[in-house]
Amino acid sequence: MTQQQLFPVTVVGSWPRPPYLIQALRRRQGREITFEEFQKVADQAVLEALRLQEDAGVDIVTDGEQRRDNFYSFVVEKLGGMQLMKVSQLMDYMKDRARYEEVLRALDVPAFAIKSPIVVARLTEKNGLALDEMDFLKKNTKRQTKIPLPGPYMLTRAAYFEGLSDKAYATPEELAADVIKILRKEILALKARGVDFIQFDEPTLSQIIYGAESTETFMCAALPNRRDPMEELSLAVKWMNETVAGIDGVRFGVHVCRGNWSRREEVLLKGNYGPMLPHLMEMNIDQLVLEFATPRAGELEVFKEYRNEKEIGFGVVNPRTDAIETAEEIVTRVRKLAAFYDPEKIFLNPDCGFGTFAERNVNTAEVAAQKMKSIAKAAAQLRSDFKGTRTESAHSH
Amino acid sequence: MGQEAQPARDKLNGLHPRKIEEIMISMNQPEVLKEVSGPWKSRIVWQDGFRVKAYMRNHAVEMDEPGALDASDKAASAHEQLLSAVGSCLAVGFVLNATRRGIRIHDMEIALEAHFDNILKWAGQCDTGNPGYRGITAKLFVKADADEVTLRELWRLAYEGSPVTQSVVRGTPVTAEFGAL
Repeated sequence: MTQQQLFPVTVVGSWPRPPYLIQALRRRQGREITFEEFQKVADQAVLEALRLQEDAGVDIVTDGEQRRDNFYSFVVEKLGGMQLMKVSQLMDYMKDRARYEEVLRALDVPAFAIKSPIVVARLTEKNGLALDEMDFLKKNTKRQTKIPLPGPYMLTRAAYFEGLSDKAYATPEELAADVIKILRKEILALKARGVDFIQFDEPTLSQIIYGAESTETFMCAALPNRRDPMEELSLAVKWMNETVAGIDGVRFGVHVCRGNWSRREEVLLKGNYGPMLPHLMEMNIDQLVLEFATPRAGELEVFKEYRNEKEIGFGVVNPRTDAIETAEEIVTRVRKLAAFYDPEKIFLNPDCGFGTFAERNVNTAEVAAQKMKSIAKAAAQLRSDFKGTRTESAHSH
Repeated sequence: MGQEAQPARDKLNGLHPRKIEEIMISMNQPEVLKEVSGPWKSRIVWQDGFRVKAYMRNHAVEMDEPGALDASDKAASAHEQLLSAVGSCLAVGFVLNATRRGIRIHDMEIALEAHFDNILKWAGQCDTGNPGYRGITAKLFVKADADEVTLRELWRLAYEGSPVTQSVVRGTPVTAEFGAL
């Protein structure tokens, strides 16, 4: 691995999409333009997102997920056997429609607004999931690169819909085996292309813990079904470890947060990381990319028991507000963590993406850039305070 | 009669705008007006328990009550279907007005909700009050090729022109008649 300063600054993944890109995405989804035509439009948007990140001082950049409808549904374009379906299209297949109705009411969204990639046939591979993203990113930046991928648990649970998917896979476990096979192949291909950081998005893990008795969901069609939280977390650990088994030389992260679809904090999930940590620590990954910028994330102290076991991607700005957190505020927050956590294991990032869902940007590119500048300024201050750099060797898992 | 079928490419929102316009104008003719004005009919046949079947022209819809009321819950209840009837009529009105203005609708949903004012009267636990809905809210979600001001105007037209909604809003009298065999 390359030498890195203390407190590397990175993003969680998505960057707000410009209107012209959203327009092109709609046209692509309506099959009015080809994939190649859409890619050309997206190239421009990626370059803009990339320049803003670089100018803001981001050390490990992404392509802003500009080519994606959202962080997991984009796989529909990349795999055979999946269809992007609206919940309104799934209603005839739902076993517990009344529960979905409660979810829609709680979220205050129509069923047509929630789209999920649903497995309708055996999965077949095309040209990778994010290899095109990686190639373009690598060609256009000298910074370290991060590729976010949907985690194996998220992808399996969100894509398996009884009544549709069981025609191709008898059980979700059977689907997971194929998902893991595809993700492993993807990791190796990304590694060969020189990716520095692969982040698996598993935000639905918080749904399992904090949303089990509520109606909130992570806007996934297949998630409102009630399941045993501990069994689900064990399954998430098992599938993650099978995905990364035996692969080194790439930093692996897992991102968990409590929702990023609305600026209304009261509709998002809340609760500290305590119940989740024993499971997250069992995952053979390097870093936990977590939100901490709102009180919903709970106390930092729950990490004392697990100090230095993993790197922490420390969420220091709220991606859903207009107010720009000052560098001083960020430094104060990081100091609280660094009081009991090795500074070499602390990365700085926003709580989540700035545009998780293409048509629901939670902020503007201008505000996103200012927030990242604040983080970079705080990182510079912290590096000076802690006076050190580190040299890393290859990671092992 | 003699009207040529318009090709599918002339369709908007699944309707033929030209044909729709002709139908709307034709309603000014007394014989057409008489035909569309009614009488509209429904016959409810009791099946078992709280379950009934409603026959309307050549269509049939089942209605039941929730299991909590010792019912079989095989179908939605009449009061839920009243909400659905209001929402469906609003949807039809919205599509009609959008299509007449050449506006393409991509997706549309209407979420309705209501609370009973005093259900104890239905349950025979008191003699006063209104066992019916205290009020009904209908929220439109729409994705269409028009600005918000235009879409709000279509929603207003749909509401004010909805026969079912206005029957509820205006408290249309129901005359209870009787025949014992």
